Amino acid sequence: MKKFFYKSSVLALMAGIFLTSCDPEIDTPSSSAGELNLTKYVAVGNSLTAGFADGGLYRSGQLNSYPAIMAEQFKLVGGGEFTQPLFTEAQRNGSGYLRLTGFTAAGLPILTPVTSELAVRGMGQDGRTLLYTKFAQPVQNLGVPGIRMENVTTAGYGWNNPLGFNPYFERLLPDAPVPPKSGALTPYVDLVAASNPTFFTMWLGNNDVLGYATSGGQGNITTEANFKTNLDAMMTALLKTGVKGMVINIPDVTGIPYFTTKATASLRQMAAAANAKLYITTGTGTVREATNDDFVLLPSTVGTPEQVGTMTIPHGFSPFNALANSEVLDKDEAAKVKLATQQFNQALAAKASANVGLVDMNAFFNSVQMKEGKPQLSINAVAYSPAFITGNLFSLDGVHLTPRGYAIVANKIIDDINKKFNSRIPKADETKFRTVQFPVN
Amino acid sequence: MKSKILALLGSALLSGTAMAGGYQVNLASQRQIGMGHTGTGLLTGTSSIFFNPGAMSFMDSRGAVTIGGSGIISKIAYSAPESGAITARTDNPTGTPFQVYAVYGINEKLKAGLGVYTPFGSTVQWGNEWSGRYALNQLKLQAIYIQPTVSYAITDKLGVGIGLNYVVGNVNLQRSVPVQSQDGTEGGIELDGSTESAWGFNAGVYFQATEKLSIGVNYRSKVDLRVENGDVMFSNIPAAARGNFPDGTSFNAELPMPSTLSLGLGFKPSERLTLAADVSYVGWDAYEKLRFDFSQNVGGSSFSEAGRNYENTFIYRIGAEYMVADGLALRGGAYLDKTPVQDGYLTPETPDADSRGLSVGLGYNVSDNISLDASFLYINKKERTDASNLSGGIAGTYKSIAYIPGIGLNFKF
Repeated sequence: MKKFFYKSSVLALMAGIFLTSCDPEIDTPSSSAGELNLTKYVAVGNSLTAGFADGGLYRSGQLNSYPAIMAEQFKLVGGGEFTQPLFTEAQRNGSGYLRLTGFTAAGLPILTPVTSELAVRGMGQDGRTLLYTKFAQPVQNLGVPGIRMENVTTAGYGWNNPLGFNPYFERLLPDAPVPPKSGALTPYVDLVAASNPTFFTMWLGNNDVLGYATSGGQGNITTEANFKTNLDAMMTALLKTGVKGMVINIPDVTGIPYFTTKATASLRQMAAAANAKLYITTGTGTVREATNDDFVLLPSTVGTPEQVGTMTIPHGFSPFNALANSEVLDKDEAAKVKLATQQFNQALAAKASANVGLVDMNAFFNSVQMKEGKPQLSINAVAYSPAFITGNLFSLDGVHLTPRGYAIVANKIIDDINKKFNSRIPKADETKFRTVQFPVN
Repeated sequence: MKSKILALLGSALLSGTAMAGGYQVNLASQRQIGMGHTGTGLLTGTSSIFFNPGAMSFMDSRGAVTIGGSGIISKIAYSAPESGAITARTDNPTGTPFQVYAVYGINEKLKAGLGVYTPFGSTVQWGNEWSGRYALNQLKLQAIYIQPTVSYAITDKLGVGIGLNYVVGNVNLQRSVPVQSQDGTEGGIELDGSTESAWGFNAGVYFQATEKLSIGVNYRSKVDLRVENGDVMFSNIPAAARGNFPDGTSFNAELPMPSTLSLGLGFKPSERLTLAADVSYVGWDAYEKLRFDFSQNVGGSSFSEAGRNYENTFIYRIGAEYMVADGLALRGGAYLDKTPVQDGYLTPETPDADSRGLSVGLGYNVSDNISLDASFLYINKKERTDASNLSGGIAGTYKSIAYIPGIGLNFKF
């Protein structure tokens, strides 16, 4: 009997030791920065880099920019602080942005501008550009919404002057125009050179084709020669001794919701169902029937009933009420966009070297396009696609990403960094970042 | 009335976490757990109802009753692919599989028995904050087997037996839905249902080859559990998306409890020592997919389906019992349970891997009529990394361990 109690108490003791000390542990490979020095990360780019979303730049978008997400991950392997030109909490809505406030009876989203808590400090000297609250200290997120590769060497691009300027660059510069290397006349490339990164990412060039595309072919595309010259200047500014970085190329802009949501194929079917055809005005001013190679833009009012003479006709469903040139990126215009994107991406790819890796974001965004109506990307049991609102990747402007989309982009870049520089930077948990949010009621 | 009682049972007695291969829970007898859960080729007393009805006819008393239960304390750790920074851990409630057996000798050769036990089940709780929450927050699965059994000794060396399984169960599955409101909340879906009654059988043959050597063969049939008109409940779905997640939806689903064929040997080199070895072949290939059919479209689809494609597996067991003194037995055992989950199919419901079990046990006769068994089983599953790209699961690395103390009481007359 004694023996029995002795044995069972030993057993209980053993059990107790097991229970407290033997939680399952997973030996994950240790994180490391590999060949990289991440003490000063600088992100160079445009609105995507700035964290622009829902048609505006605002604080929560900035906090969820892909460079901010990456910098957090860099901290796990010795990365330093990362300063962004954040709008203050009191001015958290920055430039203002679009919010989803409901759906129409037809199921179309109702987007309402947010107009309170803005960071607008006045009107620029050109009488049309709003000025935003300045951010005086040096920043590492140099994402400037609207900037093109074409603009990076332009002195005065951020100078409040009567001929026009970029207000997002203006807010990073001092008021006084001189001295030229640090004043308001400073070209973007000089600000980049002065940032002295140990590691950089550069995602520039989207706007060199996007501006043309979103205007339905009314803007201009940067020339290949100009793009290359300015790219050279950027690389010289960035690549000081020992600096490493990643160059990110340009996705096919016609694959984003701004161009695909009002899909021409389905609009033509709608027209056919109404015994009509879809007509567009091309870049040359010709009115013709639409083909599936033309892209109707997201803001187009296609299908809205309009008075034409004595009749009411859905907009676009008659040669007398064709879609305007600005509502359509026609086939020829789209071909120009494709060609320029290819040329720019070739120029960007040519910059890859021992110290510079290339992120093929073009291939990545092509890979997430739906096939036969089915999403091709699934991460952690969530499907992602470029579908407007439901695809989880793109924000309400149809061009920029959701925080979730930016996190997925950050993880894609981290993947490529790890391959290029033998680092083991842990990826971010993309599920912690929001997608499009719906009104509660 | 019946289903109400069973629902109550389910809430009080959660069956174990997926702590054997797949969602099988091999904890059928406290004595046998101590011996590595061998027993097909042994006279195991009342628990022969489970291990081998053919051996039941040789039980040496006129009648006996056994009641026992275990507490499964299980933990699963998760780490995301290529990221030591994204981790999760289950917070599983203690599982309580139980067993009740009663055997009565109608005459010398014919015995009748009734067993109630829980050979399948799983409660896995990851919560609604981890990175895999859109695949699973929580899964609770339970099956209770009720088995009337008869056993007949054809000769004094050969016995046969068969039991009929009446099986009831319930399932509850909770997931997060990737739809967010402007207040930051995320949607949720919960599927809850009791299974329709299902039937199966458990048959065995026992042969006492020599004084020292015994052999047994046992087959437990597959049982398909079916939920019809289970409840689908949604939470925190924003108004605009509610049309996609309609209230009043019900679901149908099916889950197979696989067949198990076992061959066991018993060997008594001396009066005091019993050795046992079992090999089981589990027909997991019955589990091809997990499919829910909805009465109304959910998220735009009338069903949700994910591949499982389990493969048949073997379990190898060894065990020993040594009578230290009259009325006091010491036991030990070990087993290797190969995983039925193929590469690409790992899921957070059953993040399964080859599992190693080590057990110890004690038996003590309190009196001529009453004896106690205590067991302790430690299960350690191999760390496993999987892309989970074929199952709609969550890619990453999983590691599971479990501590399972148990106690049983036997009464014979």
